[in-house]
Amino acid sequence: MGASDSDIEALWEELVRLCNDQISTPPFARLLSQKFTRARAQQYSIQMAYYVQNRRDCWGYVQGSAPLEIKKIIWQHEEDELIGRKSEGKQDHMTLAVKEGEVFGLSAEAFERTARLEGGEVCFSAWIRLAQRPWLEAIAGSAILEMRNSGELIKGGSLSYRIGEMLQRDLAIPMKKQINNAEHVVMDVEHAHLLMQVARKHAHGESERRAIVRGAQESLMIDRVYRGHLADMLEALP
Amino acid sequence: MGIVGDLLKTLDQMVNDQFDSSEFKNFLAVPLTLERGRFYVVQNALYTSNRRDCWAYVQGGAPLEVKRVIWEHESDELINDPRVSMDHYALTVKQGEVIGLKPEDFEKAEIPSMVRACFYAWHHIAMHNHWLTAYTASHMLERRNNGKIVKDGGMSYRVGKKFENELGINLKRMISLDVHVVADTEHSENISEMFERYVKTAEDRDLVLKGARDSMAIDRAYRGALG
Repeated sequence: MGASDSDIEALWEELVRLCNDQISTPPFARLLSQKFTRARAQQYSIQMAYYVQNRRDCWGYVQGSAPLEIKKIIWQHEEDELIGRKSEGKQDHMTLAVKEGEVFGLSAEAFERTARLEGGEVCFSAWIRLAQRPWLEAIAGSAILEMRNSGELIKGGSLSYRIGEMLQRDLAIPMKKQINNAEHVVMDVEHAHLLMQVARKHAHGESERRAIVRGAQESLMIDRVYRGHLADMLEALP
Repeated sequence: MGIVGDLLKTLDQMVNDQFDSSEFKNFLAVPLTLERGRFYVVQNALYTSNRRDCWAYVQGGAPLEVKRVIWEHESDELINDPRVSMDHYALTVKQGEVIGLKPEDFEKAEIPSMVRACFYAWHHIAMHNHWLTAYTASHMLERRNNGKIVKDGGMSYRVGKKFENELGINLKRMISLDVHVVADTEHSENISEMFERYVKTAEDRDLVLKGARDSMAIDRAYRGALG
């Protein structure tokens, strides 16, 4: 037996509200109030590549615990992220992140030799722990970050879009040259619906819906801590 | 021979020794009846599902390049094997038709308690160990199925031959067993290449050996439970 349409609708509205609230929390507001210099853009770009890597770790763990038909959806999701849609000439997202770094004057080696932000490392571990929890919490924990990055759901634009606008404003780098940001502005709109696909099939009861909200809330909490660390990092740079 | 050459030789010996264990001998000595054949095929589908869990966990913990190799590996298993135009779980269910099984038989199947314990043990290795250990633990089950390495044939081949000899069902009709005779040879070779890239020190080698030993121990317990 599936959940009623109104139950799923209410769940969706709650998740969208959480994502919109996220953007106006103090750590996000602080991150989004920064002014980008070249040095700041470089460090931000490198740390975001680590974030993308951590997403790949987490989606792997989520895939491991999910039922078979959900594993297939996640596998396809990871094609975009890990492999790239070769038939459409699209590159994987790590390659895109490194390639985007070129517009900030970064070489591929710079990504290899720069350490992860300490606070980032701690957040990445927390996200991995969340990804290893029971599968509905785990999938919500990963999927909510793509909902939070969907311009279709977030009033005033997603995080990738807002950062892209800041880089354009401060460093005169047009969005189309920020190939990783530009890709995520589009791709996460599509990926943001994954969680609802899951909920319609598996959120039969109140406890399943509570598990989804719990996973989403916990992930957004880690996300706030992470963005706070990124803001600290930018503030410390010239 | 270098560190990787020696290591691969040890892994080959381990998968061959597996067939000399009492658990494997007992399992392969049990005469098949149609009912036992049905039980095995259903349990094999659950084993395949557990493999999908574990490989995804391994993907989660592995470096990016290895993640990509595993993602490709899972294409055959989870999405579509071009050899048979279906994924390997669907293939197992389809194979069941030959011995009178319906899809519902797979859906309502219960996991015997000792098998469940083995599945959880494989999960544990895949999720909570260094990636080289986790990776090897999953890889060894395909290496143990590789007829180029295991003398007298891997597990799928031997079980397929039992269906042929004891139930009169040609191996070609046991489509999942038949495909795995080939697929696991390819998979274990592709996956094995990663050892060349990542095993550089004695510590790396020991991580690989730990995964191999632990997984082979669970595999023996699993075959013991089924037998």
